[in-house]
Amino acid sequence: MKRISYVVVALLLFGATSVKAQLIDEKDVTITMDLQPVLQLDMTTPDQIEFVFDNINEYYAGITHYGATILKVSSTVSWDLYAVGRSSGTNGAGFWDQQIDYGSGNNANAIPNLPLSLLELKQSQANAGATAHTGTYSDYSSAFTPTGTASGQNSLYVNAGTNTPPTLAGKYIGGHAGVTGIGDFLPGGSYLTQTGTTSNYYYSIDYRILPGLPAIFPNAYSADGATAQDIVTANVAGNYAEPGVYTMYVQYILLEDQ
Amino acid sequence: MLSFSLVTQAQLHCGLVSFEPNTSESAMLTFDTPAKYQGGITINGATRLKIRVNNKNIVDPLCSWNLTMLIDNNPGAGTPISEWEKLILYGNGLGQNPLIQSLEIRIRNACSTSPNDGIYQTFTLNTDIIDIIAPLLPITPAGSCTNNVNGPGDYIGNYDEFHFDIDIRVIPKFAFNPGVFQLNLRFHLEENP
Repeated sequence: MKRISYVVVALLLFGATSVKAQLIDEKDVTITMDLQPVLQLDMTTPDQIEFVFDNINEYYAGITHYGATILKVSSTVSWDLYAVGRSSGTNGAGFWDQQIDYGSGNNANAIPNLPLSLLELKQSQANAGATAHTGTYSDYSSAFTPTGTASGQNSLYVNAGTNTPPTLAGKYIGGHAGVTGIGDFLPGGSYLTQTGTTSNYYYSIDYRILPGLPAIFPNAYSADGATAQDIVTANVAGNYAEPGVYTMYVQYILLEDQ
Repeated sequence: MLSFSLVTQAQLHCGLVSFEPNTSESAMLTFDTPAKYQGGITINGATRLKIRVNNKNIVDPLCSWNLTMLIDNNPGAGTPISEWEKLILYGNGLGQNPLIQSLEIRIRNACSTSPNDGIYQTFTLNTDIIDIIAPLLPITPAGSCTNNVNGPGDYIGNYDEFHFDIDIRVIPKFAFNPGVFQLNLRFHLEENP
């Protein structure tokens, strides 16, 4: 009896160790994927956009350049897009650079320091990724205000001449400050695959400068649109913009959501 | 009786099953333009499987084989079971790491011996298995140039049945974190019991 048990156990062991005895061969292929971040901003715009104020109507009504800049976004990551006013700082951080001073330049009321925020922008498509914003204006999608109604809703974001991103109170063209993942970014995508007449990856930008008379630029406002920066408010009553040639530039910055 | 059954399952019917060569290979997919993200990258013939299955010297009519592929994302590194293994992240990494199912595999040979020949297929989770020639099928002899050829033979004598081109494709679009990610695709050739 004991011998029979040994035989059964031996057979069981043999069976157990032989279950995986089929001939086998294996071959491995390692697949590595390098997803490089691509943030691509295609911009179509003139080298220079000139605003020449040489008659009274233009001072009163301002000059608007419609669709002067086209922005097209392709991004593989969630992104934010904003515009910031900058200059070389000849007249100080946050002011236009005065290239030429017309006239004698001796009038104390003629102010050469024009705020960068006097430039107004209007984007063709509302910012669809900005519900997290806390300021009065989340983007530049509002229509330009009528002459005589001062407003900061379209005034260009400026941060003392730097390119630092706006805060939650500022304006973004697409996306917004913060990384909560809710209402503060636009998802990766490309204008190449968007259809229809509107797209979160395609923006046409209009520019307006409204000097007013006297030329105080009433629509110049702080980054949150709450504090006027026109020539009089920033200086004293009776001041006005000094005639001359001024330059500045608008920097469009596309960056990963942050 | 139990022991007898186990022994029967373990019986060898073939003399040799092997990939030739069976060295590891690698494929690199680099996405660096929006067009590549949108259109994807395809590598046709990322690897080629050449198979040899020999019968025993004393021919066993039950010698047949199966061929499967398995996906491995190195879960020991903490990789979630549905994702590619992350080697490095670019940027803030706030999004989704690539999913295993974004890798598409296509098998081809001239006789379309695999029932899935020419069709892109995907895995979903780590250790998922896809059959190329399924296990335990009735024996279809080499030379018949039809589905599921699994009898003895080799790529020299029956190239169109014992050779498989493996194509890989990934179309990430704009859904995943940027970074470097990896998967291992294991081809498993085994004689049928």
